[in-house]
Amino acid sequence: MAAVIRDLQKHYVLKSETVRALRGVSFAVPQGDYVAIMGPSGSGKSTLLNLLGCLDRPTEGSFMLGDDDVAAMSDDELSAIRASRIGFVFQSYNLIPQLSVVENIEVPLYYMGNLNSKSKQRSIALAAMVGLGDRLGHRPTQLSGGQQQRVAIARSLVNDPYFILADEATGNLDSVTTEEILALFQRLNDEGRTIIMVTHEDEVAEHAKRVIRLRDGEIQVDEPIKGRKVFTAEQIEEISQNANSSSD
Amino acid sequence: MLLLRTWKLGIRSLLLHPMRSSLTVLGILIGVTSVIWLLAISEGISKEFQRQIEDLGAENIIVRSIKPPDEGGGNFRRVNAFGVSRAEYRMINDTISTVDRVLPIRELTQKFANMGNSKVKPINGRLVGCTSEYAEVTRLVVNRGHFLTTQEVETGATVCVIAATLAQKLFPGEDPIEKEIYLPENQDYYEIVGVLEPRNSTAAIGGSLASQDFSLDVYIPVTTMRIRLSDEVTKRSGGTFSRQRFELSQITVQVKNVDDVPQTAKLVEATLRVRDPDRQDFAVVVPYELLEQAKTTRMMFMMFMCLIAAISLVVGGIGIMNIMLATVTERTREIGVRRALGAKRSDITQQFLVETITLSVVGGLTGILLGLLGPWTFVLARDGVERFAPNLYSVIPEVGRVMSPEIVPASIPVSFFISVVVGVTFGLYPAMRAAQMDPIEALRHE
Ligand SMILES: Nc1ncnc2c1ncn2[C@@H]1O[C@H](COP(=O)(O)OP(=O)(O)O)[C@@H](O)[C@H]1O
Ligand SMILES: [Mg+2]
Repeated sequence: MAAVIRDLQKHYVLKSETVRALRGVSFAVPQGDYVAIMGPSGSGKSTLLNLLGCLDRPTEGSFMLGDDDVAAMSDDELSAIRASRIGFVFQSYNLIPQLSVVENIEVPLYYMGNLNSKSKQRSIALAAMVGLGDRLGHRPTQLSGGQQQRVAIARSLVNDPYFILADEATGNLDSVTTEEILALFQRLNDEGRTIIMVTHEDEVAEHAKRVIRLRDGEIQVDEPIKGRKVFTAEQIEEISQNANSSSD
Repeated sequence: MLLLRTWKLGIRSLLLHPMRSSLTVLGILIGVTSVIWLLAISEGISKEFQRQIEDLGAENIIVRSIKPPDEGGGNFRRVNAFGVSRAEYRMINDTISTVDRVLPIRELTQKFANMGNSKVKPINGRLVGCTSEYAEVTRLVVNRGHFLTTQEVETGATVCVIAATLAQKLFPGEDPIEKEIYLPENQDYYEIVGVLEPRNSTAAIGGSLASQDFSLDVYIPVTTMRIRLSDEVTKRSGGTFSRQRFELSQITVQVKNVDDVPQTAKLVEATLRVRDPDRQDFAVVVPYELLEQAKTTRMMFMMFMCLIAAISLVVGGIGIMNIMLATVTERTREIGVRRALGAKRSDITQQFLVETITLSVVGGLTGILLGLLGPWTFVLARDGVERFAPNLYSVIPEVGRVMSPEIVPASIPVSFFISVVVGVTFGLYPAMRAAQMDPIEALRHE
């Protein structure tokens, strides 16, 4: 199991009221799963994602990451977990502007205290894997949106995480680039990577293996995707070829 | 763990806003430079004061005659004598045992002319009646010829020794030795037997506010002066006459042992006040005591300069803090991303501290470099003022014209250390604020 959550609750205590953003959510994500979390605005998707990403602690319930219960950890321990076991991909890429492509990919390793020449090789290999092998020294501002998101995906992989958390990762991209990123996700998932993504687009969710629908802080639906859209090996090859040539 | 990478990153982040960063650096730079400059200038001034006082001689006691304020011009017939007298000179010489030598000195402002060459414009200088010991006690060095001899003083010879500047002005391109100097106001003339080396001025002493200038002096035996010039002097300024009478301008008492100076000074003063305890027409100057005073004054001066410098550094520090607060707000998103990617709070604190320390260290180092140029710049600026704004130059106090700033070696490590401390102190708050941000909020920040 990559992650197991049991009866997870998150309450926000405000002056006038207490917002119960999550009201007892339970599910398990096995190794190699590909989950799409969906639901209307305000249903608790972001709250859940923040908990899964160890950016926040639940009010109630447990969250097992491997053998560790994250719910009881200190701030520094959570930071260490984020650095070593979780890969983030954000809607707005969130690369660090003053760093080059390779340096951006290395950031989690830096905070793990694992930065050495071997890790540099690994970062370079990851950049090549996402099709940016010839842009290692570029700054984020010199890259297109799709390229930046691919750097972000490479960054999310650098610490060999338990799972990748993608929050509306394709939300800022056009349909062609969205395909490109989804093809990359599929390739990673085929290689055994666990992916959890939040999206509100059905066309995006259709590429996952499983969908969890939230409503008012509770799970409404948790089921495998029927008629999952899968890229063929040739399509993946073609898309990555196109992506690499269009980025020149 | 302050890795090289952290510093490289800090520098790179600062270079994202080169203008902002350099302005921030400027604040510290000015602070550090001013520490070094102010200390160098105050050191230069103190050293110059100290030199001037030491030139008066620590083993000397100087008694100056002071002209009392006019008691209305009614007394036309007879002018009362003021100041120390020849009798008092003899009394000090004969009765105080700790005394080595006592010198009677009488000074008059005079017009001097070149007897043999009437084309040379007469100049105003100082006619000094003294004894042969005067040269040694006042540290005058003879360049050519000889100083007044004991014999010349005893016989009241009409000879003189002249200062270097006066020699140059009155006898341009001539050897003044054995020539004669003419005093048009008294229709008197003296044969030149010696020319002195140039000499710096000494500290201001009682009775005259300005420091003593020796450059336009003519020395004659005090005995000769007694014979040939009256004790009464008539001065004409504009349409009014003023008359004054005095026997001696100064008595310089040289004490055998420096330790006896304060006590001897008291004795001298008591001797002079035997008749009239309230007399106001003389002042006793003790360079030895001035020297002690100068030391405390110097300490106070230094502390004052340090205070000014500290204020300017604090102002620089506030500049750093201001900029860092803006930077932290501006980079909220980056902070959120770094936290999400595994940065601990302490990593964030460190990152921003590294940036402020970089700013303050760069400011400190460039400040030190500019600080080291201080003395050179000062002299250059002073020469510039002398050449292009002579009026302004003449207003600069004497000590400002002759002193040279001197870098205080300790000011360099101290100012560097302070600039780092300022960087850390004023960077800490913004850095902590960055670290305390909620990563979720920070990630949402636009
Ligand atoms: N920091 C917070 N403080 C107070 N209420 C919050 C906070 N974050 C989220 N909420 C509330 O929790 C609920 C779930 O929000 P969220 O998880 O952002 O939903 P979604 O991402 O599905 O739109 C909403 O009602 C929202 O207003
Ligand atoms: Mg949301």
